[in-house]
Amino acid sequence: MALVKQQPSETVGQEERKRGRDRDDLELQLSDPSPSARRWAVRDLAECPDSSAILVAHLHQEMDSSVREIILTALTQLGDEHAVAGLVECLRSEDVFLRNEAIEAMKMLPDEVAPIMGTLLADSDPDVRIFAVNVLESLRHERVEEWLKEVIEHDPHINVCATAVDLLGEVGTSYSREALEGLNVRFPDEPYISFATSLALKRICSI
Amino acid sequence: MKRILIIDDAATVRMYHRSILEGAGYQVDEAVNGIEAMEKSLQEPFDLYIVDINMPKQDGYGFLSELRSRDISQAPALMVSTEGASNDRTRAYAAGANLYLVKPVKPDQLLIHCRLLLGEVHP
Amino acid sequence: MTDTTISQEDFLKFREFFYRKTGIQFEDSKRYFVDKRLIERIEATGSANFRNYFITLRFEASGEELQTLTNLMTVNETYFFREEYQFKSLVTSILPEVTAHKKDFRPIRIWSVPSSSGEEAYSIAMYLLEYWPGINTWDVEIISSDIDTKIISQARRGFYSPRSVQKLPPHLLKKYFRPENDGYQMSDDLRQAVEFTRVNLMVPADVRGYRGFDVIFCRNLLIYFDDLSRRQAADTFYDALNPGGFLCLGHSESMSRISSLYKVRKFADSVVYQKAQEAQ
Repeated sequence: MALVKQQPSETVGQEERKRGRDRDDLELQLSDPSPSARRWAVRDLAECPDSSAILVAHLHQEMDSSVREIILTALTQLGDEHAVAGLVECLRSEDVFLRNEAIEAMKMLPDEVAPIMGTLLADSDPDVRIFAVNVLESLRHERVEEWLKEVIEHDPHINVCATAVDLLGEVGTSYSREALEGLNVRFPDEPYISFATSLALKRICSI
Repeated sequence: MKRILIIDDAATVRMYHRSILEGAGYQVDEAVNGIEAMEKSLQEPFDLYIVDINMPKQDGYGFLSELRSRDISQAPALMVSTEGASNDRTRAYAAGANLYLVKPVKPDQLLIHCRLLLGEVHP
Repeated sequence: MTDTTISQEDFLKFREFFYRKTGIQFEDSKRYFVDKRLIERIEATGSANFRNYFITLRFEASGEELQTLTNLMTVNETYFFREEYQFKSLVTSILPEVTAHKKDFRPIRIWSVPSSSGEEAYSIAMYLLEYWPGINTWDVEIISSDIDTKIISQARRGFYSPRSVQKLPPHLLKKYFRPENDGYQMSDDLRQAVEFTRVNLMVPADVRGYRGFDVIFCRNLLIYFDDLSRRQAADTFYDALNPGGFLCLGHSESMSRISSLYKVRKFADSVVYQKAQEAQ
């Protein structure tokens, strides 16, 4: 036996696709029993405009994690209103994987997520607010520091504030100094808060 | 020297836990999520894991179940999360955690639980 | 301008950010190396100081500066037997596991991407011929792809500089190459052992036909991609692999920030990523 080469036409497999590639066909293929066929349907749908709603709907019933991961990639690629709304919905899911992957996907969509950031940061569920602060990490937006400052000045939940302080250590400027000092007053006797704020302040002062 | 792996996506939390544990003489390494923690666990053994729940790519539950089911390590694991909900606690134990604490953890609380889990002191 | 300085806090802040984005972690001992390159980029971009440069790096929509800096922080040169420990794992651990699970006698398929000028794909070919006894029982197809047609022609030609071949054991250099002009010409037999193709990993139509691979090498490429492209590449490799197939990344690279589709495995000195045996 040896190192071999096939005929050039066979090196790369020929298409074995039985069905078409327009949107309706692809939507049908999302219920194919083979995860591989479903992954390809998702990938092809990512190339069709207006397919976000179909993908979001399928995300909630898909059981195979490899297909779900590809749907999240596709929604990031599409990045339209439906895709973002679908991702926000995932933040409330009981499913930890879905929640965390939605955060990762939203981090890649700064312009699309920015308009709803204010609403997310005011959500009644502290977990959703923590996730929103996590999304801010990669948001290239002029209001990032302002949002973070508001969080540490007003949010009642210690872990939402802690998440915001973590990020201020990286993006903060002297604009946030007073708010950081004030956080120690809001949460006295919390060694984590005093550790995190002094670290952030040290980084702000160094620049 | 006992080796502890801190798995958390928040840099400040890793630094905070590290400063407490190093101050008490432990050797500490860090990972940002379950997959990186798995890469490190396959390369060298740890005596204790401190695991956050919400992390991208592989969360704390997924990491611990895989660590236990592949028998990569049976070292004790302390799970920490922002959630006080009881179903999180139940899931943490089911995944293979030995203890569940709600963040933020106070330094003396962290140390005493680590010592207990490492068998250095007894209740 | 020689007065740009990087403070300890700047260094720590940069180190954390770079680690999060690329997975590359610098030890304290690398401080001088990192500072030097940062200062070089601060000056080249006309930034007044570290702070302004860091803002560009973090917030620039195109991510171009991060890519330039990553290029500078990583040494990306290709030569024969680069990261040889991974080829060792291929013959001692990965291929034995692949063959143990194979249900037919069709050829084992290996994909090396990007091909660049061919050093990696030809190294795999030589390694199999020289160090893998299984080559007497199994047929192996090696396919190597790149986006750049010019570099593919160069790979097919098989002519290399002394620098490219300097890590090759002398007896292999003698066996597979002959000195010519200022370099080394590879033998026709070895040149024929690898099939080179052009592919853009980001284009579904380009990658659709790439299937049924048992091992994929993709080393030192993903660190240069943005987050979304990395994910798309990871998805593409997943579909290109057979169940139980392996993906090998470069030594400073990790799947941990990219995808959760793969299982982490460790063989001797290499960490590799595996598609589940039961995956469909």
